[in-house]
Amino acid sequence: MIWTLIGAVVVIGGALVLLYVNYFNRIKTLENRIEEAWAQIDVQLQKRFDLVPNLVNTVKGYASHEREIFEKIAEARAGMVEGSRQARMDADNMLTQALGRLFAVAEAYPDLKASSNFTMLQEQLEGIENKIAYARQFYNESVLDFNNLITTIPGVWFAGGRKKHDFLEIPDEARAAPKVEF
Amino acid sequence: MERRSFHDEQSRNKRDSILLAIVVSAVLFALIVSISYIWDPSSVYIMVPVGVIITFIYTWSSYQYGDRVVLSSTNAQPAEGSRYIYLNDTVEGLAIAAGVPKPKVYVMPSRELNAYATGKDPEHASIAVTQGLLDTLDRQELEGVIAHEMSHIKNRDVQFMTLVAVLVGLAGILSHMILRSYWWGGRSRRDRDKGGNLGLILVAVGFLLAIFAPILTRLVQMAVSRRREFLADASGAELTRYPDGLADALEKISQVNKGDMKVSESVSHLFISDPNRSALDAIYSTHPPIEERIKRLRAM
Repeated sequence: MIWTLIGAVVVIGGALVLLYVNYFNRIKTLENRIEEAWAQIDVQLQKRFDLVPNLVNTVKGYASHEREIFEKIAEARAGMVEGSRQARMDADNMLTQALGRLFAVAEAYPDLKASSNFTMLQEQLEGIENKIAYARQFYNESVLDFNNLITTIPGVWFAGGRKKHDFLEIPDEARAAPKVEF
Repeated sequence: MERRSFHDEQSRNKRDSILLAIVVSAVLFALIVSISYIWDPSSVYIMVPVGVIITFIYTWSSYQYGDRVVLSSTNAQPAEGSRYIYLNDTVEGLAIAAGVPKPKVYVMPSRELNAYATGKDPEHASIAVTQGLLDTLDRQELEGVIAHEMSHIKNRDVQFMTLVAVLVGLAGILSHMILRSYWWGGRSRRDRDKGGNLGLILVAVGFLLAIFAPILTRLVQMAVSRRREFLADASGAELTRYPDGLADALEKISQVNKGDMKVSESVSHLFISDPNRSALDAIYSTHPPIEERIKRLRAM
């Protein structure tokens, strides 16, 4: 009788330990994936940060009086490397908008548009913008998986009080196409 | 849910690959031994260990180098230089979205619109597209096609499909060999080995295998492609969040492609659209009907 009881305790205890290990590892794996996803975004933000001065200098050679746009770009660029994740993404969205205006303004300068340096930079910046969008998507998917895991049963029992991660949101104004007045 | 299904597909493909490797190894081993028996019954004792070694090397190198065989058989060149920055960027972006390392990128010099992915696992994968595809599709359509291929990579479809490709090629070669050996060995065998029941059985088995191997692999190809193509369409659309991109691309593919890429039949199931038949000629195709795929994408 006593052995049956001990046996039952051992089996149930073993099953609980296995379950714990399984969920612990899944939670850790997702946490790591979120960090990796952010690292992807970080790399692209840094690349963009480095490219912007080249672009600004190129444009200044042709359209030096578009001061307002340059200021906006400089402000957005500064915000890309410090602050919270969401703040840096917001700065990046702001940069996207400012660049959109810059590219639209560039339409008025045929020499600038014809400059191979300018078109190359434009292509690169837009390529990075796409990658940031995809990296953000991967980040948010990872966050969703993580949040689902730690808020549903039985994951919530093993979450050890972990908080939900925040999604990286896009502000509404960033979705609108840039407006240009001539 | 979607992650779970990715995961399920990955394990299914791993299992299928192992199963395929075992079955093909067994068939190859049986063929080697029966051929050697037809040639000279006393050579069987030597040929059993030799057969094991050959089988092992063949299966291992099919797994290890299958993607190179496929890439060179389709005349794919590395996409390097400023001409292909845009293509490389697109591939890198979708690799980020799928959470896999960036695959190597290749271009095939063809006017047709087509693409495929190959490789032994997501860490060693390649994507090849035709020059025609690059010239004809707009950004969203190209992203749709690349996302489809990226899903094949992430699902590990590429592993299984590449194995099938290399082993289908093998079946063709082997059927040639065994038939020739049968005709050549037939006369002399009758003279010197009158009571060899076992020999007759082996010959019959070898002969049947030779006939059925291409048919069987053909069936595998068809089973492989249909389910996987629909699935890759769906999960590709999940990556781009824009099913119409791929649907538009498939529409252009069905209008432009005549099916004259002339690639080996052994690799045709890897392509997004059958490279040897017009997209409208669905009956004998290894691929699901393109209208059906477009319909499903439009309905998403």
